Amino acid sequence: MLAFLDRKNTVAPAGFNRFMVPPAALSVHLAIGQAYAFSTFNLPLTKLIGINHSAPGDWKLAQVGWTFSIAIAILGISAAVFGRWVETVGPRKSMFTAAVCFGGGFMVSAIGIHLHQIWLLYLGYGVLGGCGLGIGYISPVSTLIKWFPDRPGMATGLAIMGFGGGALIAAPLSFWLMEHFRTAQSNGILETFVTMGVIYFMFMMIGVYAVRVPAEDWKPKGWVAPAQPKPLVTNAQVTLDVAWRTPQFWLLWVALCMNVTAGIGVLGQASPMIQEIFNGRVSPAAAAGFVGLLSLFNMGGRFFWATASDYIGRRNTYMVFFVLGILLYSTVPTIGHLGSIGLFVTAFLIIISMYGGSFSTVPAYLRDLFGTMHVGAIHGALLTAWSAAGVLGPVLVNYIRQYQIAHGVPKTQAYSITMYIMCGVLLIGFFCNLAMRAVEAKHHFRASPKSGTAPNAGVQA
Amino acid sequence: MNTRLVLLWLAVGIPLLWGVLKTLENALKLFH
Repeated sequence: MLAFLDRKNTVAPAGFNRFMVPPAALSVHLAIGQAYAFSTFNLPLTKLIGINHSAPGDWKLAQVGWTFSIAIAILGISAAVFGRWVETVGPRKSMFTAAVCFGGGFMVSAIGIHLHQIWLLYLGYGVLGGCGLGIGYISPVSTLIKWFPDRPGMATGLAIMGFGGGALIAAPLSFWLMEHFRTAQSNGILETFVTMGVIYFMFMMIGVYAVRVPAEDWKPKGWVAPAQPKPLVTNAQVTLDVAWRTPQFWLLWVALCMNVTAGIGVLGQASPMIQEIFNGRVSPAAAAGFVGLLSLFNMGGRFFWATASDYIGRRNTYMVFFVLGILLYSTVPTIGHLGSIGLFVTAFLIIISMYGGSFSTVPAYLRDLFGTMHVGAIHGALLTAWSAAGVLGPVLVNYIRQYQIAHGVPKTQAYSITMYIMCGVLLIGFFCNLAMRAVEAKHHFRASPKSGTAPNAGVQA
Repeated sequence: MNTRLVLLWLAVGIPLLWGVLKTLENALKLFH
């Protein structure tokens, strides 16, 4: 079994169809994308004793809310810490580890629910599950880039699309399972956790079974690496140790962090925001529909923008995110005053598609700048920008709104200042992206500028 | 057409399509 997981046993035979790899990656990302739907468990977890209501002794919502925050923080940390290991052992072993961690996280959490010990929930879903999220997220990325050197954006976009789409499956599945297992003595969440742990482990094993790495000298039929690469695209390699010391890494870190900050705050507050801005005109059910649409565009944007970046270039794609984002955020307050729900929804659907697009375009952006050798590990390190944005975005949206309301601003107008601040956040990202230049040759790993060939030594991905 | 390839895409495509349809079902409420 362990030999099956070894990198050398995952090298694809001649004639292997490379389109087998995207669904393998999707199976992992669709599973771990469940994290975006964790909020469906929040209320049931506060009613473990009272079943239909929160009884004395039941966990509080704020306590339960920490589970998701821990998981996302651990996602960023584990992606950064285990990035190099993932590159070394290859996609199959790392995807298997992610499946064990993610499925196991549900099981440990289920024990925590059974014993009513919240620290086991934090340890299970938060820490163990968070490691599954981080390792699973980066596992297939560098493999996909190597299989699709001609279309790296499309390939990684397909996989990372799954992370956005995971919530679309997990939310209705969670509700259905909780309803199915519900009895007079239980709200069904314990059984739901156990079932989901098994389902997600099995689903991720599809990817473990199907994933393959290309042979060293493999290239797509008829494809030759351009002798004169496009600006910002290198044929050379940069190691992780060197990459994170370059200005390019940090410029991209800030650019990603700013774009995600602008999107993540909205995603978390979408339902109350649309109800408050269009006071009385949008019901809670309609607001939930709006949240669903946002998830759909978050997913679709991941594929659309990453694929577009193969044609217009990564930096130009990020330019579109920032310029269009600033335009849209600056017009949202006016749209709110005009009372046009249709325009408001359209603006946010485009914004959220670009939020997803920034995640899915970034692996190809890194590959352009640093080559393929350590791209998975560098990607893992860059995801700490996500953790930072996960704190910054909601804080900006929630606290500014709170401050405004406390100072007498009507709820319908409380988001206007936030929108203008988001424009400022995006402007910082715009300048970072504008300043992006190709990595200097002195940073290249055994660079051979004349031939432009990649090295064969070093940690092999 | 490679059977394994089709089965693989179906394994991930069917749950994803189900999730998309469920989401669109809920999203329709926004326009009522």
